[in-house]
Amino acid sequence: MVSSTNTTIVNERPHHTLWGDAWIRLRRNKLAMAGGIFIIVLTLAAIFAPLITPYSFAHQDLNAILENPSSKHWLGTDGLGRDVFARLLYGARTSLAVGIFAQLIVIGIGLPIGAVAGYAGGRLDNALMRFVDVMYGFPDLLLVILLKAILGGGIYQLFLAIGLVAWVNIARLIRGQILAIKSREFVSAAHAMGGMGPYITWRHLLPNSLGPIIVSITFNIPRAIFTEAALSFIGIGVRPPTPSWGTMISDGYAVIFASWYQVFFPALAIALLMIAFTFLGDGLRDALDPKMRR
Amino acid sequence: MTALLEVRNVKTYFYTQDGVVKAVDGVSFNVNRGETIALVGESGCGKTVSALSILRLVAEPAGKIVSGEIIFNGIDLLKLSNEEMRKMRGAKISIIFQEPLTSLNPVLTIGRQISEGLEFHKNMSVREGMQEATRLLQMVGIPHPERRVHDFPHQFSGGMRQRAMIAIAIACQPQLIIADEPTTVVDVTIQAQLLELIRNITKELNTALILITHNLGIVARYAQRVFVMYAGDIVEHGKALDVYHTPFHPYTAGLLGSVPRLDEPRKTRLQPIEGQPPDLIALPAGCSFQARCAYAIPECHKEKPPLLEISPSHFAACWVSQKGSRSWQK
Amino acid sequence: MTRFVIRRVLWLILVLLVVSFITFSLMHLVPGGPWDRDKQLAPQVVAALNAKYGLDKPFYVQYGNFLLGLLHGDLGISYSYQDRSVTQILMQGFPKTAVLGTTAFILALLVGITFGMAAALRQNTWIDYVCVMFSTIFASVPGFVLGILLIIVFSVILHWFPTGGWGSPSQIVMPAIALAALPAAFMARITRASTLETMRQDYVRTARSKGLLERVVLIRHILRNSLIPVVTIAGPEFAALVTGSVIVETIFSIPGIGRLFVQGIFARDYGLIMGTVLFYAFVIAIANLVVDILYGVIDPRIRYE
Repeated sequence: MVSSTNTTIVNERPHHTLWGDAWIRLRRNKLAMAGGIFIIVLTLAAIFAPLITPYSFAHQDLNAILENPSSKHWLGTDGLGRDVFARLLYGARTSLAVGIFAQLIVIGIGLPIGAVAGYAGGRLDNALMRFVDVMYGFPDLLLVILLKAILGGGIYQLFLAIGLVAWVNIARLIRGQILAIKSREFVSAAHAMGGMGPYITWRHLLPNSLGPIIVSITFNIPRAIFTEAALSFIGIGVRPPTPSWGTMISDGYAVIFASWYQVFFPALAIALLMIAFTFLGDGLRDALDPKMRR
Repeated sequence: MTALLEVRNVKTYFYTQDGVVKAVDGVSFNVNRGETIALVGESGCGKTVSALSILRLVAEPAGKIVSGEIIFNGIDLLKLSNEEMRKMRGAKISIIFQEPLTSLNPVLTIGRQISEGLEFHKNMSVREGMQEATRLLQMVGIPHPERRVHDFPHQFSGGMRQRAMIAIAIACQPQLIIADEPTTVVDVTIQAQLLELIRNITKELNTALILITHNLGIVARYAQRVFVMYAGDIVEHGKALDVYHTPFHPYTAGLLGSVPRLDEPRKTRLQPIEGQPPDLIALPAGCSFQARCAYAIPECHKEKPPLLEISPSHFAACWVSQKGSRSWQK
Repeated sequence: MTRFVIRRVLWLILVLLVVSFITFSLMHLVPGGPWDRDKQLAPQVVAALNAKYGLDKPFYVQYGNFLLGLLHGDLGISYSYQDRSVTQILMQGFPKTAVLGTTAFILALLVGITFGMAAALRQNTWIDYVCVMFSTIFASVPGFVLGILLIIVFSVILHWFPTGGWGSPSQIVMPAIALAALPAAFMARITRASTLETMRQDYVRTARSKGLLERVVLIRHILRNSLIPVVTIAGPEFAALVTGSVIVETIFSIPGIGRLFVQGIFARDYGLIMGTVLFYAFVIAIANLVVDILYGVIDPRIRYE
């Protein structure tokens, strides 16, 4: 019989915060961990590239063009005798930089617009959302190309061009979060306790929205990386001497039958990096899903 | 006269990560032609799984009918091929499920869902099937059936959906209908209507009915015999009125005591049965009810009681009921 | 239902107007003009050319003229191909893009839905694991990257397929696969998840309890419900596929509208840019419209709005 006074709780659930709990779940996801490790390794390799390879991105050795991989040039050389492995590492800097920094602009535009729409509601919300809907009707890659053509320049303008098109998803996300939370009771409770507008936003809305925002950004990064590669491939992305996987591909494309290594490795690198981010994003999404908390 | 359906010592187990769940552990009951029996017990006691076992709808591979026989019209259903069994379902034996909203396909019209069985078992064309469906909707009391037959489930109210489920069940004029808690999800006024409807239809078509419920209040009025289930076993069975007035198993008594009765003066408080049903993976040795039984004696912990005869038509699986003192009877 | 369609068509027109306006404005902000060549033309020549094509008029006049022309189905003149109108050029490129896009989309649908359903119906078998693994991987790799890898493996190393061009069936295989892979993988994931969900529904059990053939249960009860979410994403997926074809056409040297767009950007060919962007926006809008209508047909629950 269960006595009501002397109850001992067996299996007391250890107290985890949402983040601690999520981290444990993320760790268990092997694919996500693999993706995360790959990203970290690549980032470190990109940062410490000068320590890893003696060659630079642009160093030409016209005596050693179109060579196959060897002990001297681990991944071979391209049509101008440049070391493919070195170009790969330095190109990683560009890809990662674009992937991550474009998100700053995405958040910088998307978060305020989404927050204003969600918080203000009414006609302002309607107008902004209509604008968002129209943006969805735009073929986004084309718009990025067009914007970049206008802005000209190099990598910084690329951040801007990508950011100006990709903010839409984040705005919608934030607005949705705010609308959902606005209607929940604890906000009115906080209101009842005399909490004022910005206070409510800060303390209650933001921590809850952070999860989906992180997931969305993790999925946006590979898209930005791809966009940079595609634009650079066409010739409208970063400008030389900035290293880029896309440029590597377009440089080598003409002589692809003579030596395909210089095209293969950057393409493979793009693919692997995007897969890694997708695995990580999937894992984060599962880990941060509050419904899966035990 | 042989019974229409005879379930003999059926065991249906579920194999899960945590262990083997013995949902139905050696259950036997029978139904005669045109008779209504009730299968009563708390949620989780195995009544729904017993019903699904009869139709061999138990979800494989996790669930399996491990042993036993289910004799219907002289044929053991468990030995039929899949194709032969399919010919039985809906045509000779049909089932009315508990949740009419989720049990109906949202993208098909009500009429189509009724006529499906007719198309398959009676070789009707879609048009003939829809015509018959209209007639059936009228029979179950849906107004404007010729219009309603083209509606979708979300356009019906809860009570109407359940009527539609009844129409589906009787469409091919089966010999046996299983009604799994047909009134649990509707409110009380609709409950009475639905039960009357079911009773009238089964009488008119001379269909046997297995009424599954946890509500003992309706058992006496609608069933001739009742089988009480607990933790995968039948613990008591007999004529409905006998069991109702003189329950021989403490669990049955507990069930009766916990039902509010309008026809008796309010002498004492409702007596809920203390405790929780046992974990079907780790059943105790001896009687499954021992942990919650106020009358348990040493034998109860050692050996599981079989169904012991009290009268030729009344059996109870309880050691204490044999010993004479039955303080739970009024 | 017709009111719904009319509303959506009006919305489509509005979107196209806004897209055309934004594109028009952006185009005129692009530095340089359609007369930029390697050797700079003399300023008087440039001015004369501008006057001839009305490029010296104020912005709103130009845009107004453009809209007027649009009503007549005239998209203007191409500045790089000076003997042809934009409409003519688009008409030439359209069949290639259309064939490629449609082939890739149908391929994606067939492969995606089939594998997704197979994985769900054989859950936890090797079919399921393989499907999930492949769909996760291919859902992350866009057509441009996959196209290049395919070219390296199948053209350069194995010599099975040509690297590009258009005209023979063998030239459509790799671009179509490159374009179809991501949508196929994505749709496989959605189909699998949706089918798993549907299989667990009570009404599937009801269908079986009526004694119906398993085939009927599968098609009439499971499939019809599990495909509803797939239809919902089919529209955006088609739009993404069409947009992705821009780069794929460039890699495979397919003379379609995507390549025309890229050419137009580099040549500052206003007419070509406008024409191609509007084309893509139109395709996206139509795809979404079709999906919205289809959704109402498939799911009766949302029909009566």
